[in-house]
Amino acid sequence: MAASMEVVNGAWDLATKFISPWNTEVHIGCEQNNFESATNILCDNGLLNLLEDWFFEEVQQDLRQRVSPAFWKFFEGLVPQDSVADKSEQNIVCLLQATEYLHKISEEYKPCIQLLESLPREINRNYSMLAFCGVNKISDVVRILFKSVVFTRASREFRDCVGQFYAQAFSVFHCVEHDETVNDDEESTKCSGCKHDKNDCACQHIMQRFNSINAKLDEVGVLEQVSGTSVTALVHEQILQHVENTCQGNFETAYLSSLQNWLENKVLGWLKLVYSLDRTNIGSDCIEGFKGRLIHFLLETYANVQISQLFKIIIEFPESELAIMDLKYCLEKVDMRSHLVTTLKSSLETRLLHPGVNTSDILTAYISAIRALRALDPAGVILELVCDPVRKYLRSREDTVRCIVSNLIDDASNELLEELVKSQPLIDETTHNEEEDGDWKKWMPDPVDADPATASKSRRASDIISMLVNIYGSKELFVNEYRTLLADRILTNFNYEIEKEIRYLELLKLRFGESQMHFCEVMLKDVADSKRINTRISEERIQKGEERTVDVNAMILSAQFWPTFREEKITLPEHMQKLLEEYTKRYETQKGNRTLDWKSHLGLVNIDVELKDRILNFNVTPVHAAIIMQFQEQERWTVEELSTVLQVPATALRRKIAYWQSQGLLKEEQTDTFLLVEEHKGRSHDSIVAEDEEAESAMASSHAKTGEELQVFWTYIVGMLSNLESLPLERIHGVLRMFAMEGVSGEITIDEVKHFLDNKVKDQSLIYSGGVYRLPKSS
Amino acid sequence: MKMAVIDPAENEVNKNIWIAVGTWRWVANDDNCGICRMAFDGCCPECKLPGDDCPLVWGECSHCFHIHCIVKWLNSQQVHQLCPMCRQDWKFKE
Repeated sequence: MAASMEVVNGAWDLATKFISPWNTEVHIGCEQNNFESATNILCDNGLLNLLEDWFFEEVQQDLRQRVSPAFWKFFEGLVPQDSVADKSEQNIVCLLQATEYLHKISEEYKPCIQLLESLPREINRNYSMLAFCGVNKISDVVRILFKSVVFTRASREFRDCVGQFYAQAFSVFHCVEHDETVNDDEESTKCSGCKHDKNDCACQHIMQRFNSINAKLDEVGVLEQVSGTSVTALVHEQILQHVENTCQGNFETAYLSSLQNWLENKVLGWLKLVYSLDRTNIGSDCIEGFKGRLIHFLLETYANVQISQLFKIIIEFPESELAIMDLKYCLEKVDMRSHLVTTLKSSLETRLLHPGVNTSDILTAYISAIRALRALDPAGVILELVCDPVRKYLRSREDTVRCIVSNLIDDASNELLEELVKSQPLIDETTHNEEEDGDWKKWMPDPVDADPATASKSRRASDIISMLVNIYGSKELFVNEYRTLLADRILTNFNYEIEKEIRYLELLKLRFGESQMHFCEVMLKDVADSKRINTRISEERIQKGEERTVDVNAMILSAQFWPTFREEKITLPEHMQKLLEEYTKRYETQKGNRTLDWKSHLGLVNIDVELKDRILNFNVTPVHAAIIMQFQEQERWTVEELSTVLQVPATALRRKIAYWQSQGLLKEEQTDTFLLVEEHKGRSHDSIVAEDEEAESAMASSHAKTGEELQVFWTYIVGMLSNLESLPLERIHGVLRMFAMEGVSGEITIDEVKHFLDNKVKDQSLIYSGGVYRLPKSS
Repeated sequence: MKMAVIDPAENEVNKNIWIAVGTWRWVANDDNCGICRMAFDGCCPECKLPGDDCPLVWGECSHCFHIHCIVKWLNSQQVHQLCPMCRQDWKFKE
């Protein structure tokens, strides 16, 4: 027994010597036969399993105590984070040496592993390393040991080395690939790949080195372990950079396919170079899996870049349509809707929604946004979410409606006009359209971020005009504003040619319905009728051979259908008054039982002013004309005198005189005394006077109008207050709203009521104290 | 200074023109039509355009209405044709 014990011990010693790669001097001299006979003895004694376990144990020991320290020693003392070229070269050399070392060790292990593998093994042994690691071969276990023992630690220096190495290889790869197709135009003498002089470009060398390191790492089985993080980070960074470089600032090209091409050729090509050139230890499917993730990352990056410049893209629409289409594709693949909505919302807010931006610019942007976002998301949900603040803001601006209307009929920017021409009548939300059933197969649910309260149909269908009109939520306000603008245009241009206006009106009628535009129709008819009457009357004049210094033409309006006129009192000079009276007479004979009331402050007078040295021609309002005519009789007037003669308040008068001052016809001799300038000596224009007399609207302002509307309810309010003594504003507004309806311009807001009541307080017909309104005691 | 004296020799382009603005109204003793309660200067509920298209008529009793309104009223009266305001026989004033 003891003898056999000895024999077994001897065999064990021998066998273990054979499979000890770290014991180099021993196993060179030994012979194959000795090992076989030794293992036979061990086998007979059932100790082969033990031999295998011993081997793994020893390998671990060896790796831990010898290889690992030696390997990491290569990286000690390196300067981390050094991007200077020669330093990085130094780092790479370290990596190279370390790899060589690791490879050498792995080569040393190989014969032993082969020997072990040649031994008969008990299959399905339960507690072996192989079962533990879930692999079939001893070499696989050794590989796992390499990974787990050597790479349990990872120093920063090491990571830097690896990163620098792959980054260099990547840029060299690109340079090499690139150079074949395009000759770099740059005059720089540096090679764009390796940063060396072009003459001694090291690209080829670097590529070779790159391939060999990868191959060696792969043989050891630690390629993925070493390169994985760095390569992923590098590739991501490169994608980010590439996307930003190509797409920033240009929205008129579609980049998606070229980006994907780039990814396919350049990035994946390089990755293949790393991972799938006859690699033994990495499956080929690994690249495929990676590709999917990279494409996703590319789309995400691209979408991010586009979203960050989405405001500009929107403004450029429709030139930027391709960019929008790209983004649309990305959104289908990548979940970034909410990011898009928040980003765009905030950029709209910072770029548009502040007092520094003109209303018309906001409107233009809003219109572009509607168009672009509609293309991006046909369901209209993004539009709804993003533009809500814009709508709210526009609602708070006073001139919005005016801007929309004037945009609509502006010849210069006929964007909206086109829209009006091609568009359908406003869609009534309540009518259900059964046609949808036709293509139920194409039905798509609303996106998740849609507001469930609104019908998806209305979101999809509403067009730009209705979106604009809906800023206010009512057509009435819009139509009213249109009416006021129309009136203004007629009464400032005094142009009897109204074909164009009729055309607009027809278009608007299609959209808003006949009844809404009825008033405007009458207004235009007034113009046409006036023209006819004017011709008839002037024919009559010619027949009778009457010659007048001034021909009176009239614009005869149907007061019921026009917006309220701005009132202004003036007594015209007698001979002007006579002209009007004469016209009235002629009108009365033409139209039995009808007469005219003149709005003498409105209108347009074309007069020649004959001075000593020149004749000047002016187109002015009757008030202006009346003023200058006074100077015909008398050279010098004080404001007060003029005010009595013309019955115009002094302040208004002074404003009108300013016009003549600016024309150089009148001069303020002393305060409030004006003198006619018969002769011009030099260029003595009264330059103090600003010429920016605002073109006054012929129509009453909207404030005045609401006041007038509310006046209707005054008796009602008085009644209310005499019954209940005192009421707060909210209560009055509430009661008015309940009974009184709709004013002409839509619902009356609490602010308007407040304004009205405050005016009444000013008139002393109401008392406001302690937050409530009451009637004065005396009444 | 002289204002705007027209030299007959000058052609019409130089003729001074005054475009005055005025509103027309019916010369009637009331503002609203007694039948439809709409303004005379507006039009009756059936009409779209005021003035020539929706004129007023006067009866011999001196009451006046939109022509469309009174004609409708008269048509609806079976026996006597009376003015809706004063119940006198309705006769159009010539």
